[in-house]
Amino acid sequence: MMMLQDGSTQLLCLTASSGVPLFTRGASKQLPFSVIGSLNGVHMFGGGQGVVLSCCETEDGGKVVWRVFHDSVMLIAVAAGGQGGAGRSSSSSSKEVEARLQRLLENVWSCMVLVLGQDELANVRNVERLKRDLRSCFGLIDQLLEDRHEGILGNLTHCADSLLPPNPALLQDAVQGFAQAADSEFGCLVVHGRIAAATEKWWRLAPQEVVLLSALMRFLSASGSSSCDYPVFLPHGSPTVAHRLLRFHLLPGADVCVLCGPTPSLHRAESGLVVRFWTPLVETLRDCLAVGERCLPGSVSLRPDVLALLLINRETRRSVSCVRTSTNHPPGHPPLPSKTRCWELLKLFYIFSTTRYFTQEETLCVSPEERAQRGNTEDFVLGFSHQPLQCYLVSEECKSYGLQTPQHQLFLLIPLSVPTFALRTVATQTLSDIVTATGF
Amino acid sequence: MAARHYTTERTVSSGQTEEDGAEQDSNDSDRESASSFSSSDYSDDLEPEWLDDIQKNGELFYLELSEGEEEAALAQAAANQGVSTNHVRFSEKEAEIITEQNKKQRCGSRAKGEPTLKRLARILRRKRRPSQRRGGGKDGGKDNSALSSPPTSILKNQPGQRQGVTIQQQQLKEVCVYLNPKRLGGSSTPLSDSGGLLEVLLGVVHRPSWSRGQVDPAVVRQEERLTVHGLIPNSPAIKCGQILIGDVLVAVDDVDVTSENIERVLSCIPGPTQVKLTLETVALVDGSSASDTSSVRKTKASPPVSQLVRLLWGEDTAELQMSIGHIPHIVMYLSLKLDSASPQEEEEILYQYPVSEASSQLKGVRGIFLTLCDMLENVTGGRIISSSLLLGKHLVHVSYWKESNNLLVIGLPAERVPLLYLQTVVGDVVRTLKVMYGSLDSAFCKVDHAPRLDHFFCLFFQQLIQPSRLREGSLAPPTDVSGTLFLQGLPAVRWLTLPPEIKMEVDTVLSDFESSDFGEMSEDFFGLRRLYVILGSCLFYKSYLIANHLPKEDLLDVCLYCQHYCLLPLASEQRVGQLVIWREVFPQQRANGNSTAAPGYDQPQGRHFLLIVGLRHFMQCVLLEAGGCASPALGSPGPDCVYVDQVKATLLQLEALEAGIEERLNAPPAPCLSCADWFLPAATARDRLDSLASSSPVFSKLVKGSSAGSRGRSLFGEKARRSSPQRSLSDSGSEGQMDAGSGSGSSMAPGLSPHSTPDSARKLGGRRDSLGSGGSDGSGGSGGLFKIPRMKHPNPFYLGTLKKTLTERETEEMYNTMKLTSGAENTLFHYVLMETVQGIFIAPTHREVAQLSGSIHPQLIRNFHHCCLSIRAAFQQSLPARGRRAADRPQGGGWGLGPVKEHGVLFQCKPENWTDQRKPAPTMTYWVIGRMLLEPVPQEFYVCFHDSVAEVPVEMAFRLSFGLAL
Repeated sequence: MMMLQDGSTQLLCLTASSGVPLFTRGASKQLPFSVIGSLNGVHMFGGGQGVVLSCCETEDGGKVVWRVFHDSVMLIAVAAGGQGGAGRSSSSSSKEVEARLQRLLENVWSCMVLVLGQDELANVRNVERLKRDLRSCFGLIDQLLEDRHEGILGNLTHCADSLLPPNPALLQDAVQGFAQAADSEFGCLVVHGRIAAATEKWWRLAPQEVVLLSALMRFLSASGSSSCDYPVFLPHGSPTVAHRLLRFHLLPGADVCVLCGPTPSLHRAESGLVVRFWTPLVETLRDCLAVGERCLPGSVSLRPDVLALLLINRETRRSVSCVRTSTNHPPGHPPLPSKTRCWELLKLFYIFSTTRYFTQEETLCVSPEERAQRGNTEDFVLGFSHQPLQCYLVSEECKSYGLQTPQHQLFLLIPLSVPTFALRTVATQTLSDIVTATGF
Repeated sequence: MAARHYTTERTVSSGQTEEDGAEQDSNDSDRESASSFSSSDYSDDLEPEWLDDIQKNGELFYLELSEGEEEAALAQAAANQGVSTNHVRFSEKEAEIITEQNKKQRCGSRAKGEPTLKRLARILRRKRRPSQRRGGGKDGGKDNSALSSPPTSILKNQPGQRQGVTIQQQQLKEVCVYLNPKRLGGSSTPLSDSGGLLEVLLGVVHRPSWSRGQVDPAVVRQEERLTVHGLIPNSPAIKCGQILIGDVLVAVDDVDVTSENIERVLSCIPGPTQVKLTLETVALVDGSSASDTSSVRKTKASPPVSQLVRLLWGEDTAELQMSIGHIPHIVMYLSLKLDSASPQEEEEILYQYPVSEASSQLKGVRGIFLTLCDMLENVTGGRIISSSLLLGKHLVHVSYWKESNNLLVIGLPAERVPLLYLQTVVGDVVRTLKVMYGSLDSAFCKVDHAPRLDHFFCLFFQQLIQPSRLREGSLAPPTDVSGTLFLQGLPAVRWLTLPPEIKMEVDTVLSDFESSDFGEMSEDFFGLRRLYVILGSCLFYKSYLIANHLPKEDLLDVCLYCQHYCLLPLASEQRVGQLVIWREVFPQQRANGNSTAAPGYDQPQGRHFLLIVGLRHFMQCVLLEAGGCASPALGSPGPDCVYVDQVKATLLQLEALEAGIEERLNAPPAPCLSCADWFLPAATARDRLDSLASSSPVFSKLVKGSSAGSRGRSLFGEKARRSSPQRSLSDSGSEGQMDAGSGSGSSMAPGLSPHSTPDSARKLGGRRDSLGSGGSDGSGGSGGLFKIPRMKHPNPFYLGTLKKTLTERETEEMYNTMKLTSGAENTLFHYVLMETVQGIFIAPTHREVAQLSGSIHPQLIRNFHHCCLSIRAAFQQSLPARGRRAADRPQGGGWGLGPVKEHGVLFQCKPENWTDQRKPAPTMTYWVIGRMLLEPVPQEFYVCFHDSVAEVPVEMAFRLSFGLAL
């Protein structure tokens, strides 16, 4: 009898030194305390013997991943295996699950730093107080854990989910001007949870921070308030000094934010600046919202035989992704996977390709010791004597194609009806179409 | 005592070999001479030489290397060498001469002939295990003969012997040797009667003068110079190759030594260390002693026995193990039963290997493994498979295998075994253990199995962690870790397709053997039930399976055993003089798979025995059943001479076919292969080809090999050079070229293409053959020889030469059309095709790969194999549990991406050390594609080709598998 439901993931957080449980999230039923204690105990025991336990795998794809951050907080993710039905990325192969869980732990830790700051987490003085404080992270952590937002892949790719607006220059100017007026160099416009425009400095933040701030924006805008003033620590940029994140609701689905110091006050910014900068642009914003989940402006005509795509710009660390609901499905062919399934397949194929063939460049935000800790997801890539450029996979549901150039990574889902030898053409054409039309 | 024992055998065998040499001069190939050729003193001995090696439980592992070490090297280089010619052993002759001159002297120095090495090692081992001595009476008899027959010696310089011819100059030389006193721990030899530490530790035999009877007993205790009278095989002294018989040991680490203090000095060496020896040596200046020096040089020049062979012999594991001591790896068998009243420490460890610092760290955290194994099943709903641990800088993957109440834990460094493939590796080990011992419990829970398991796991770790070290000293090419992992992990055996007529003859011989219809084995002969029923056998030639009459699962069992003990590469290196292995096995299908049998048919509940006999390149594995039809086996029976002899006879008979098989191995590859280097642009490629044509042994081998080969070489040598610039043009364009459909290769005129030339060479060769009289029959001379000993009755299926040439032409035709890739040029680099049902796979032979040489190509193949690991792992995850080799574990849960049918990766390679700053390095791109087919027959196909032409792997697999059958 198993204690976790099929396909669910549970996150455990304890203090590393004393093993006091700080919180558990995820899964409907919490694991018994004895199990939590044992899971923490084996890791602690190993640490005493100079052996760091990093992950464990069970038969049907279940996985446990341990990670200690700053010698103070221990995070454990437990993913149950089994047929998860329509559940999220359940029942994948071990390597894919592991990569996903490793990412999850990193994100959760960054998220805790973002909210509470590194000082409070690294030097735990009062466990009870920390427990209380950590409650403020739960919303964000749950969002990471449940991965509810369809079409948001940034948590996984650590590339900012972007939306390419039809007229980027206008929006860019507006964001730039708005941020300047608010005494800030960091400003960004979020449409449908994706970044439509941002100041140059915003892109200079660590990719993980950009992704995390986007997640925070989504979380805050889901609360429904028209504006808010939220203190944030940047996990890489300023883990100990808080900044203010000012967020303003412009239109349903469109939010703008700036990262600033003590001035201006929320009220002054809302009453003075928002109206001045954004009222003239309402129509432009509506156009932008119309792009919707396609993420690509109408000027880009995708080939009809692309089911879903994820395009990553490796230099700017931005990504666009979309899943298309096909209208003219030829009869007689096997049914196409559903939209939800397409998103899941796209994620899985991304993890599959990056854990085996393509490297994820995260030199910016990964310290050497961190790299050692998660080395086992990358060791296989390093075993190749020649460089992998492209890869494809033919499964029973669809065909997947991945392609890597010095500038881009492209991942495509293509219906089974397209012959395999044509996949490469589809992929290269799609890439050149998007790049020439948008300059992404 | 043991030393004397040794000398006896030594003498006998030396005389024998002389005879053999004479016999071989006549170079006839009837059975008698062949048998006396194949093993040194087998035919005349009443008892086979492996008899002494049989252990108490009936098991036998006897390995004797062939005599022609140097010859082996030559044979590797020369392409079409059949039976090696007579071989003169210098040391023997020398020994003879000296014996004549020296008849009255008693001296214990030793010769160093290769099989003697083995024999000596055997005796040394026997010395270590006195309990296993057989019948005291026999020993006594040998002793007597030892006294009566004079010992031999190859003393390099016996004072006063040859002073007329040799002018001696005394020189001092310094030699560094590596000594390991810990190795002594295993031997229980009392140091008294032998030369003490000098002999045991250093390997230098010094006979004090009193024992030689030269010096008056009155002066026995006098200090004496330490003259080297002999060297112990495999000792540090002989390994360094610089200590010669006749040298005088003057100092150890600058401490002067004599016979008086040497033992004291040596006993001061605390642990494994390097020691500097100072020796006084004699330089020979006179030309007339040429034979003398040459003999010495000869002994020295022969390549050292590879570590692998020594490991198989069961020697010297400590040093090998020590060299990987810093790499964490471990195997433990732990008990999950908690006995509360247990007072002992570490009681839960039923077995553990090795004992090193890094592994003791892993042992220290066994609590983790036990806890996780116990707990996780309840949490995530599945048994634990693996954990990853970080030990300092080393990432270690630990694999778990639970059986009843015990847990097998194997930890391996991540850089050797990727997590993707860990389960396959461990699954294979577990299956091998089960085949050998029946179950894990019976393997690990018996105390007397421990040394054998140590040996088993030593081999296992050595092969995984330092495969190159095992092969060093042998002529094998550098190993490719991913390749070994991938190919050994396939549930299949490497198959060599043979021309049909040879295949038929091989099958006939095997069937004849399996029918057990030979005189002594027939039931009528003695009126007794036969001892064993032959269930089937399979035949390997140079590590390729060429015939199999075993069911698939049995074949895999047998093959796993062979792989684990490295028997296949061993046989391919022309070093096996004689190999006899006998042991009880527990074929997995028969042990637990009775449910699959047809209704109404019960598999007999018998015991099974595996007999492996190897002679030179051939190796036959026979699965025998006792009980059932045959008489039940009692106790632990050892190998039965009759069966061993019959297998040997079969192998000798098959040796006649060797020429034909060699011809197949030397034939140009079918399907044709291209070398990756040909596809890289002009400058580098031209240089490389030039250097190849002039220096490469492979090419010169081709020239020697056959006329067809030489023609092929000159053809592609020139053409590749001429047209490679063209190639570069089209290739450098392929980077920017987006459309895969329009291959760049199609623009080239078909006639000019360099890559189809192997094809044309084959055509030429084929025509010549079919025009010439008799084809392979004539050139190999196989048919005639073959029929004499065995085929008394005409085979009804043998349709004579007319039909034969016809089929030959047909197969030629088939081979000619065997170009796997489409388009004008041949873009195929490498392939592996596995027939899942038959349990075999085909891939280009080692020789075909070696012929392509190049600098990029080996890299490409390594990369191919590494990629195949990933592709196969993807296939595995979508396979139902039954189809897997590690079938013991139920495999629940599909894979997120769903069942994968086909998976391909495109790679780009650049030449290394590109120095030209002005131009960017040229690139070449190629596909590695894996395809799993379930219809019409389950197959897995892995292929690697240049990306100029889009291929459909299914078609390629079909083309390749056409005509491939057992």
